[in-house]
Amino acid sequence: MLGMKSAVRALQEVENERESTMAVSLRESVQLVSDPRNLDASVEEVFRLMLGLNCRRDSGPADCEPESVTAVVGFGGLLSGACVFRSGTNAALKIAGHMTGMVFEEVDDTVKDGIGEICNMLAGAWKGKVPQLAANCGLSVPAVITGRDYQLHVQAPEFQLHHIYRSEDTSFEVTIVCDGLQ
Amino acid sequence: MREIRTLIVDDSSVMRKIVERSLRQAGLDLLVVHEAASGTEGLDLLKAKEVDLILSDINMPSMDGLEFLRQIRDQKLAPGVPVVMITTESSEEHVKQAIQAGAQGYIRKPFTAEQVKERVLPLVHAA
Repeated sequence: MLGMKSAVRALQEVENERESTMAVSLRESVQLVSDPRNLDASVEEVFRLMLGLNCRRDSGPADCEPESVTAVVGFGGLLSGACVFRSGTNAALKIAGHMTGMVFEEVDDTVKDGIGEICNMLAGAWKGKVPQLAANCGLSVPAVITGRDYQLHVQAPEFQLHHIYRSEDTSFEVTIVCDGLQ
Repeated sequence: MREIRTLIVDDSSVMRKIVERSLRQAGLDLLVVHEAASGTEGLDLLKAKEVDLILSDINMPSMDGLEFLRQIRDQKLAPGVPVVMITTESSEEHVKQAIQAGAQGYIRKPFTAEQVKERVLPLVHAA
């Protein structure tokens, strides 16, 4: 019963939020959607809550490793595009280790699964910062790519955020690519 | 103290482990966990085993969490067992759909063990 009450309360909160913002279209609020602080807050939230790690945005380049792990979660609906998480192999092993409490020596299925889930939560947290996006933008299941010498290229995106973050002794990149806004 | 037989449905094995760890941190020490990687697997498990609590992701391939919830109710599986959705989706529409489909609780990822405790424990104690 308490759970139902909290669910109804959550619903009311979401409805109140919607009423205060429904007059603005997503295209008109592109500056809000592309606000880089939303991405920083999302990354900080996911890493603090799920990994117990503080992380900060870094102006320098990401650590260079020969092989990397990239997770991609697609956006569909009012906004189309993708959230991309990329790190070197060693960083991915450490991040997956913090998530699970396990020690990894190679990028196995559990590591890929963990990195995919990090990307999924980043995408969800980021779109949740803008009420219209939270309500009208779906997420794909994560795809994870491993290897070397590959680049992500999107032709003429509507906007793109590309940030580098540092946490303890690891660094990683998070990119939001928007290739269409309705 | 009694055992809490729990079904955790998530396509991510890492998330299933994190949810289990959060339940234990929330004070559910006597936990018997069954895991399913999809709604379809979850339904098969519910036909074979009795559970006291169900936690499910929404965004999953093959059968998503909302359809899983509808199927539980339609097939009259696990009657009276509380279901909590744990998902990255936090929109009004998703919360509404989950409640309409029969969920008693909703936790947004990322989450803390404290949030799991607040949303799940009252349901377990009331059941």
